[in-house]
Amino acid sequence: MSVELRRARNRQMLIFLLVCVGMVVLMGRLYYWQIVRGDSLAQAAANEHIQNQILNAPRGVIYDANGHILATNVVRDDVYIEPIQFSADHGPDIFQSALEKLVSTLHRILPSVSEETLYKDFNLELQTVRIASRIDPAQSEQLRSLQLPDIFLEPRTWRIYPAGSLAAQVLGYVQQDDQKSVGVYGIERQYDQLLAGRPGSFTAEFDLSGNPLVVGASAEQPAIAGADLTLTLDSTLQYLAQTALADAVKQLDAVSGTAVVVNVRTGAIVVMAGAPTFDPNNYGKSATLTGCLGQESVFFNPAIYCAYEPGSTMKAVTMAAALDQGLITPDTTFNDPGYRAFNDAPVVVNWNGLGYGIESMTQVLEHSANVGAAYVAHDILGPDRYYPYLAKFGFGQATGINSQEETGFYRTPANSPTVWTPSDLTRQAFGQSIEATPLQMAMAYAAIANGGVMMRPYVVAVCNNNGHMVTTQPEVLRRVISERAAMLLTGMLRHSATDGFAQPAQVPGYTIAAKTGTATTQGLSSDQTEASVAGFIPATNPMFVILVKIDRPQKTIYGGTAAAPLWKYIGQQLMWYYHVPPDAV
Amino acid sequence: MYSLNKRIGGNRALPPKPILAAKRRRQLHPFFFSMGPVALCISSVLLIGLMAILYLTQLGQAVTANQRLQDYQAQQAKLRRQNQDLVYVISQEQSPGYIASAAKSLGLVPTDPKTLHVLMVKNLELIREIEPQIKP
Repeated sequence: MSVELRRARNRQMLIFLLVCVGMVVLMGRLYYWQIVRGDSLAQAAANEHIQNQILNAPRGVIYDANGHILATNVVRDDVYIEPIQFSADHGPDIFQSALEKLVSTLHRILPSVSEETLYKDFNLELQTVRIASRIDPAQSEQLRSLQLPDIFLEPRTWRIYPAGSLAAQVLGYVQQDDQKSVGVYGIERQYDQLLAGRPGSFTAEFDLSGNPLVVGASAEQPAIAGADLTLTLDSTLQYLAQTALADAVKQLDAVSGTAVVVNVRTGAIVVMAGAPTFDPNNYGKSATLTGCLGQESVFFNPAIYCAYEPGSTMKAVTMAAALDQGLITPDTTFNDPGYRAFNDAPVVVNWNGLGYGIESMTQVLEHSANVGAAYVAHDILGPDRYYPYLAKFGFGQATGINSQEETGFYRTPANSPTVWTPSDLTRQAFGQSIEATPLQMAMAYAAIANGGVMMRPYVVAVCNNNGHMVTTQPEVLRRVISERAAMLLTGMLRHSATDGFAQPAQVPGYTIAAKTGTATTQGLSSDQTEASVAGFIPATNPMFVILVKIDRPQKTIYGGTAAAPLWKYIGQQLMWYYHVPPDAV
Repeated sequence: MYSLNKRIGGNRALPPKPILAAKRRRQLHPFFFSMGPVALCISSVLLIGLMAILYLTQLGQAVTANQRLQDYQAQQAKLRRQNQDLVYVISQEQSPGYIASAAKSLGLVPTDPKTLHVLMVKNLELIREIEPQIKP
């Protein structure tokens, strides 16, 4: 073999070896990238292009009985800046001037964001900083048209209440943060799961601008919109009652107040108002406000959360129990010297200390005589025949309108065997030593007005869950008293309105059946009252029960003077609004 | 003439050149007719080019469709947002509070129940239904 040929072969061998080494190195690198790092790199690449977006489900709309919107959703933008990107885009020589220009422009469009805050935010070492939330559509449009560098808008859906504070305590509000929205208080809380719907997801490849490549492979699970609710409330009447209640509370220098209107035939709540109230669009401003005599947050609905001693409005219930059992008639008489001593209970006196001599049961209601009511409960009924009626009228039990409502309480020999005394019985007869919510009291009167039949109260009339409609049907809960007893009691309550303390509640042209109540609280002076009126209109063909309660009025303290004028106003508006023909002929 | 056989000094008989076999190998039949290698290369290149053009055209159309779809989606989102805003404005202006304040600003005052007079007409009977024969 010649030297030349050997050299050539050696060169070939060297090249071959070099190529082999190169191949081995390449194979090693290939193994490293494809096998060792393969999965993580594939994942990183997929993450770069494939994104999973959460599709938020629109929250259900809440309507009133006439289809007016009480709660809906709007999209508003949040404004973000990119401080790190801004620094990278602008060199040190132009950074300050560019920043000054941008801050000045931003402050001009968003005056609520101070220039100091903007300078501070732009100097943060963060990828993104939110500088404004929920800006106006006009501001969004301005920012969009300017196309400012390193600024972007992020749309977010917000719950909004077009009527402001109207029925706020019934509706509640929605607490929103970056992650989720949760209904708090009222209907928003009770029906949160239904209203919220179910979010969906969208997985697809995205381009550099963050837009989905919908032509490529993608997977979408659509969001399911929340259910729409239609309430039984009437916006117009709610507004009239709510504003009149707020005015009354202010005029009487009272602490708080409640008004409830119930459709007697169906149990539908037409009005449920409280004062003070709040604006669910700006609930944060009312966080320190309290309602219900300062005992509860203003966000609670006082009609179902604020139990009180109903006072003399309870006398109608005592009479109902005795009438239903045939133990008294409206004309049954007894001697009322203004006080009555019981062998097992303390003396009961009339609220004004007056004695009325021989008086009928109708007159007991007219005079609002504590002695008469205590006599009926203690001497005629007794605990065995009285307490079953309190239970049948729904006292001490949830009405079912809300899962967390106040139930109220009263002592009986059964539930408080060691502490119950006959004194409880005599006092419960005229509304002391018993706590009931305004709604419970209204429903008790609704049962009397409805011929002795108690309906289940409800505030949601229709639930439309993406086309699946569920309509609440009026539901009879039970017969509480006989039709005859109800009729007799209605007559007695009509006398209470025409000849008794409920006279100021009379509505011209209409008959009413009503009873006043002026409850005092043990430990407080007797001028610190809870003035109320409960009754129904028109008395000849009852349509609506109205309950008005004013807490601690200072200008005048009685049910007949503090609450009755408001009762009259609401009754009158109801009759006009529903074009009810006058029946007082 | 210098040849490899001479150089390595072999007198071995060379096998006959497979002219016919090579010819047969070169005569390819990719499309059911005979085609030379050059023609095959050219037609392959043309075919691949054609396919590439088709693919790129489709891709372009897909990208355009994608862009159009995105534009529609953006427009839909914008319109939905405007619709929500309008619904909100309408519901706000239908709310009793807004109407009351608007009426007040126009100088209207709410009815005072104290000024109400109910006229009682004795023995007035409601007209239930007008008899068909006396209907105008």
